[in-house]
Amino acid sequence: MAELFHRKLERSAIGFVLAIIAAASVGGIVEIAPLFTIDDTVEEAPDMRVYTPLELAGRNIYVREGCYACHSQMIRTLQDEVERYGPYSLAVESKYDRPMLWGSKRTGPDVARVGGKYSDSWHVAHLMNPREVVPESNMPSYAFLARTTLRTGDLSEHLAAQRALGVPYTPEMVENAARDAFGQAFPDGSEAAGVVERYGAATNVSAFDGQSGKLTEMDALVAYLQVLGRLTDAAHKGSAVAENTPDTAN
Amino acid sequence: MDLDHDTVVAFSKSWGLFYLMGFFLCAVVYAFWPANRKRFDRAKNSILDQDDKPWR
Amino acid sequence: MIRQLTGSERQLAAIMLGLVAVVGVAMAAAGRNDTMGVHGLIVMLFAGALMYPLFSAIGAPEPTEDREASYYDDPIKVGIVLSMIWAVFGMFMGVWVAAQLAWPGLAFDGAWSTFGRLRPTHTSGVIFGFGGNALIATAFHVVQRTSRARLAGQISPWFVLFGYNLFCVLAVSGYLMGVTQSKEYAEAEWYADLWLVVVWVTFFVLYLRTIARRKEPHIYVANWYFMAFIVVVAILHIVNNLALPISWGSAKSYTVWPGVQDAMVQWWYGHNAVAFFLTAGFLGMLYYYLPVRAQRPIFSYRLSILSFWGITFFYMWAGSHHLHYTALPHWVQTLGMTFSVMLLVPSWASAGNALLTLNGAWHRVRDDATLRFMTAAAIFYGLSTFEGSFLAIRPVNALSHYTDWTVGHVHAGALGWVALITFGSLYTLVPSLWKRERMYSATLVEVHFWLAIAGTLIYVFAMWNSGVIQGLMWRTYTGDGALAYSFVDSLVAMYPYYIARTIGGLLFLIGAIIGCYNMWMTVRAVPETVSRQGDLPVAATVPGE
Repeated sequence: MAELFHRKLERSAIGFVLAIIAAASVGGIVEIAPLFTIDDTVEEAPDMRVYTPLELAGRNIYVREGCYACHSQMIRTLQDEVERYGPYSLAVESKYDRPMLWGSKRTGPDVARVGGKYSDSWHVAHLMNPREVVPESNMPSYAFLARTTLRTGDLSEHLAAQRALGVPYTPEMVENAARDAFGQAFPDGSEAAGVVERYGAATNVSAFDGQSGKLTEMDALVAYLQVLGRLTDAAHKGSAVAENTPDTAN
Repeated sequence: MDLDHDTVVAFSKSWGLFYLMGFFLCAVVYAFWPANRKRFDRAKNSILDQDDKPWR
Repeated sequence: MIRQLTGSERQLAAIMLGLVAVVGVAMAAAGRNDTMGVHGLIVMLFAGALMYPLFSAIGAPEPTEDREASYYDDPIKVGIVLSMIWAVFGMFMGVWVAAQLAWPGLAFDGAWSTFGRLRPTHTSGVIFGFGGNALIATAFHVVQRTSRARLAGQISPWFVLFGYNLFCVLAVSGYLMGVTQSKEYAEAEWYADLWLVVVWVTFFVLYLRTIARRKEPHIYVANWYFMAFIVVVAILHIVNNLALPISWGSAKSYTVWPGVQDAMVQWWYGHNAVAFFLTAGFLGMLYYYLPVRAQRPIFSYRLSILSFWGITFFYMWAGSHHLHYTALPHWVQTLGMTFSVMLLVPSWASAGNALLTLNGAWHRVRDDATLRFMTAAAIFYGLSTFEGSFLAIRPVNALSHYTDWTVGHVHAGALGWVALITFGSLYTLVPSLWKRERMYSATLVEVHFWLAIAGTLIYVFAMWNSGVIQGLMWRTYTGDGALAYSFVDSLVAMYPYYIARTIGGLLFLIGAIIGCYNMWMTVRAVPETVSRQGDLPVAATVPGE
């Protein structure tokens, strides 16, 4: 029986193709489908904030520049990683991340919890010329970010697209996206209050690149780097301990 | 959908395994079916032909 | 080439190019304030560049001979040329980015020339440009020869080939401008992805229709691999690239998959791109060109069938081994690990099958560098699949992940397996396709072989060393229970290896350039064969026979 079936499959190439699909698709379906139906893939984190427009713009610069090629944003459940970088990453922390930027290679260190670790001016100096801050670094210079005006005209479209995909941006947030981007980078300006009102008191309002009058891509990227790991406290509250690092060294 | 985590895992552990074994069995039966020997022999030698025209 | 087409086919081609140009105009207009506008211009230029040869021969006399009496080789020839151009481009970018890690000043303070933007031009350039074009060309060749039937279309092979290259051009030029989804090996943005779907479906239909025309009762196993490559890559590409553009005039889109689901979908894609793009398709090459070059049938046809289904079935489960110790549920990680280890069985079955085919022909392997390319490829395939299963084991992965070990593993596969089997296949294919007696220079093939082997070994050993050192330094504790090394300490330890890998990559690139020269001279300077019966120069030209 099986034989006849097979011969038939092979006779008509279409049947053969269906067999390939049957063989190949099961693995993906079994692995991926449950991730949508089970709740414990993504933990509860009631305090989880969304990215502000400026942080989202910064994230898009991180995406555009391909930073993921050298920096991971995923602290594994290994003791040495937890000691080096902070509490291990939880699924909930990237639930608004499109795409996820967990990365696959650490030519530079993990940045999942780099937010708040260094000052804004450290980040600016480091991005302008990494070797001035860390002489041994092999990171490229990103001085051009400080020269480039951030494009804010389409930020509402960005938020609207995210909202359409299920990120809880309110219509007010979408409407005021460009204004809020300015507000977050100019603490003394008239628009700063609106950002805090819409995105919460924990929002980091700061003159990120230290320049006044111009909203640059540097502002956005630093704002993003400073919020990494700080959208929720869930990871710090967890009682789970990291696994011991497997002893493959010996 | 009232699929919970455990149901799905149980499903993939049981039926996934049956599926795997069934698939393996079909492939083995096909490969070793005696009547296929001739076809396979012909196929593996036919690419060595020194013939460079489509058949009509 | 145009002269092979009838008048109505030429008109159809002109209309299609016109449509592509119109799409380019629409993109340029809709995206005039965006990088998408630049891509619109590129699409227009691409269509225009193809119109030139078309219109310069549009009035030429129609073909008089019976086209069905011969195989359709023109698209294959162009595919080989494009493949070699991409090889040099992609490998050059690889050497450049490798050098940047050792000497960061080589980014020259530009935005477009930073590591993050150049790195995907290297990966896409070699995987999709070099590998993809070689796969399309060899698939067209193998399916015709093993089916004893001409390709089922006159225009569609050209559409597949040039459409695919348009995708590659859009992808690579996009990265330089910062148009990327930052999804590894799927960086191209939404419109390029949509275009690739159109091209790929055409490829699939063309392949299927050609197989349906076959005169052989049985579908030769190489075609199975090519077919799995085409079908599964289509599924992977569509699922992973589902995205919502922020507007029709913007290159920017957001993937529909959030966070952890995106991670799983991405590595399900990423790993199976390795499986079905970089393995299945190239196994198709192996199962055809290796026996043909060695003039010996494959050792066990049954084994090739079993390993085909094994690879098709097992690979799909293995992707989650890229996410060990992450926020992905534990059971998915375990599943991925288990299947990755099981994958070794069909992988080694294929490698062993290839090597056993050569039993009794080892003197040819010794004398014929082309056959040696393919032999070495089978060996590297065996080695890197073993390494892959090993690295997928959770505790091993704890050490190797995020380090250069992964990079070394990828290159053992990409240089040692994918590139070597491709060069071996192309050296077999070029003289036969252009009806030349032999390659221009057997010595240069030999030189290429040793440059490629030396380059691969230097590269892989450098990355093994750096990866293991890096992984160990990250987890070393002092007696007081504190981490012994800062991250920067581990980076400083990498520099010698980054220089070594640059040298290894450079040797490999030089080999590829020599290969281009050799192929060029073969077409230009080697006399045509006189009334050759066969498809193959092997028997006559193997040195030392």
